[in-house]
Amino acid sequence: MNKELEHQFVTNLEKHQNIAHKICRIYTNDKDSHNDLFQEITIQLWKAYPKFRGEAKFSTWMYRVALNTAITLYRKKKRSIRTQDFDSVDFKIKAEEYDGETEEQLKVMYSAIQQLNDIEKALVFLYLEDKNYREISDTLGITEVNARVKMNRLKTKLKNILNP
Amino acid sequence: MVDDGLDLLKKDWKKREGSLPHFSYNEIYKLLWKRSSSIVKWIFIISIAEFLFWAALSIILSDKHQWEQIEALNMTTEVIVFSVISYLITFYFIFCFYKNYKRISVTDNIKLLIKNILKTRKTVKRYIGFVLISNAVLILFTLYKTITYHVANTVIENPETYEFDTTRWLILIGMTIGGLGIFLGLLWLFYRLIYGILLRRLNKNYKELKKLEV
Repeated sequence: MNKELEHQFVTNLEKHQNIAHKICRIYTNDKDSHNDLFQEITIQLWKAYPKFRGEAKFSTWMYRVALNTAITLYRKKKRSIRTQDFDSVDFKIKAEEYDGETEEQLKVMYSAIQQLNDIEKALVFLYLEDKNYREISDTLGITEVNARVKMNRLKTKLKNILNP
Repeated sequence: MVDDGLDLLKKDWKKREGSLPHFSYNEIYKLLWKRSSSIVKWIFIISIAEFLFWAALSIILSDKHQWEQIEALNMTTEVIVFSVISYLITFYFIFCFYKNYKRISVTDNIKLLIKNILKTRKTVKRYIGFVLISNAVLILFTLYKTITYHVANTVIENPETYEFDTTRWLILIGMTIGGLGIFLGLLWLFYRLIYGILLRRLNKNYKELKKLEV
């Protein structure tokens, strides 16, 4: 039975691991921290798995547990170095795909996101993942109206960063 | 322009899915047996250590010699009542801590999760407050009893040469209270430091979520 559960869980996680990797990308700046956070997310998911009854989709359930781990449970092992480090790892813009201006815009946007606080990052992440405001408010534990208001403020904030 | 920026980002975000790392079935399987280093685990370990430390301290300190002193000062009833009450209160705190700890669920929403974690800390904080205050009361009460005992039982042979006047009494009481104050203050600082570091991120995020509700 236990083996069965393990197999089921690992298969599910392998299939949906992108969710966790994307969260790691937003919340960490280097490869080691990325892997550390991924490991903690996996452990928390596995610990909570026996209570997962399949009422929700595995991916929906995973968004919540993984974000909770990144924001609340995960302890950063070392002080991460900002921008430079992050630029060099995951968010490197592939020059051949964009023209110079777009490339610059994306670079500025990604580094702006890295400087947001944990909660703001969660909002942007869920927005980028095409979640609607009801899901966003459910995940954060705030009202839908407040989620909307905050998202609009964030959009303005990012706009100001993009066009100073 | 705003949405242009975010839309551009969204498109790029989707495009990047291809460049995400990918772990194999076996790599993920191995992770299941790794140890968690979550903040909840740390809070749990530290809290249990605190309960044990304070409980052990009162047991270690209550030796035979101390009991003889208590008997001499005629404080046996008070000390027994005090001990029973303080053990009952300690059990109550441990029970509350356990109940709050059990309530922590990683599948709750972020706000509720942080709230429940902070609640377990509040229980331990209140327990330490209780230990410190009750011990301060006990120390002051013992001091009072010691003074009245000595006043009643000490025979002074030459009262005219006895110099323990009001000023000296005030100095003695002042020093005791001052010493107690410094001890409690240092402990308080120590706790602020430990939990300041441990809970900083939780408190910050909780405040941020609260701010969104205004």
